[in-house]
Amino acid sequence: MDELELLKKDWDKSKKNYPNLSKEEIYNLISKRSSSIVKWIFIISVLEFSLWTLLSFSFDGSSEAYEKIESYGYEFIIYPLVGISYIILFVFMFLFYKNYKNISVTENTKVLMERILKTRKTVKYYVIYNLTFMCLGIPLAVIMELSSNPETQILISDIKSEGENNIYIFYLIVAVLSLIAMALITILFLGFYYLIYGLLLKRLKINYKELKKIVDVE
Amino acid sequence: MKSDSEHNFVELLQKHQNIVHKICRIYSDNEHAHKDLFQEISIQLWKAFPKFRGDSKFSTWMYRVGLNTAITLYRKSLRTIKSQPIESVAYKLAYQDYDDTKDQQLKMIYTAVKKLNDIDKGIVFLYLENKNYKEISDTLGISEVNARVRMNRIKTKLKTQLNA
Repeated sequence: MDELELLKKDWDKSKKNYPNLSKEEIYNLISKRSSSIVKWIFIISVLEFSLWTLLSFSFDGSSEAYEKIESYGYEFIIYPLVGISYIILFVFMFLFYKNYKNISVTENTKVLMERILKTRKTVKYYVIYNLTFMCLGIPLAVIMELSSNPETQILISDIKSEGENNIYIFYLIVAVLSLIAMALITILFLGFYYLIYGLLLKRLKINYKELKKIVDVE
Repeated sequence: MKSDSEHNFVELLQKHQNIVHKICRIYSDNEHAHKDLFQEISIQLWKAFPKFRGDSKFSTWMYRVGLNTAITLYRKSLRTIKSQPIESVAYKLAYQDYDDTKDQQLKMIYTAVKKLNDIDKGIVFLYLENKNYKEISDTLGISEVNARVRMNRIKTKLKTQLNA
């Protein structure tokens, strides 16, 4: 007998052996994309974290910066802040990981949607937190320099000796420059976060909308 | 509202899922690859569904999209078919099927078919699904003559492989 005929006979026979997925299972299958997106959010957050940590260790100026901070006597603020920031970053990483785990085991469309929203929220908080932390760093650094750097002290007394009002203008300029620096940092990092997380979030959102249509009709 | 039709999609896919399973059976070598391919085809079908106008039968359309997905992935898959992490997907395939049959000869035929190239696998698959040459050529986007010629070559290829 022809090989293909033989095959066909068997093919027809094995018809009933195929798995039969329920509608719910098919919904899940289609929506499973979310799981891989959320996984990437987690992976990227870890990579980002490692990048910053590596940069800060390999950066020659970092030990100098710490010496400077110590000589200014600000270590009592800076060290706890650095510690806290690391703790918070770990908490976020943990949350991202939890989101990923949760989404991978979701079996119900409604719950999945809720979890997608939650993941989006976590990422948003993460970005807001990072931006705030970086922006707050600038006034802190400025105050530190103004109050403790001996060179600035000399500069300030020079300005004061030239006229009482000059010092206000000097402070104003410093304030404006700090604000500009903060704005620049915000824009720069918003762009950076938009590129790496925003695009993932967008895909999550599309996924969410598709799921919503299905649920709305049901 | 078009979401009606989107809701239909899942219903239709559920009803005709055997087609997808069968495509997976021809194009994948193990349970894991089968699941991955099944999901990938489902997603591609879901994405393409808005373009499905209903001028052909849903099942016919499924053959086309499903096979195209399988072929495209197969071509990429010198680095093996990869899609989403699937370990947790809530379906369990009953896999006694991959043990196919106790019949040694049948096993060998299946193995030989798996060795065919992507288009030829599609032709065999559609042939097993009782499609005529017109339907085969339409689904795969080749000419009817080409389909016939290829079919003859496949038969010869299988014969020589099995008698070797």
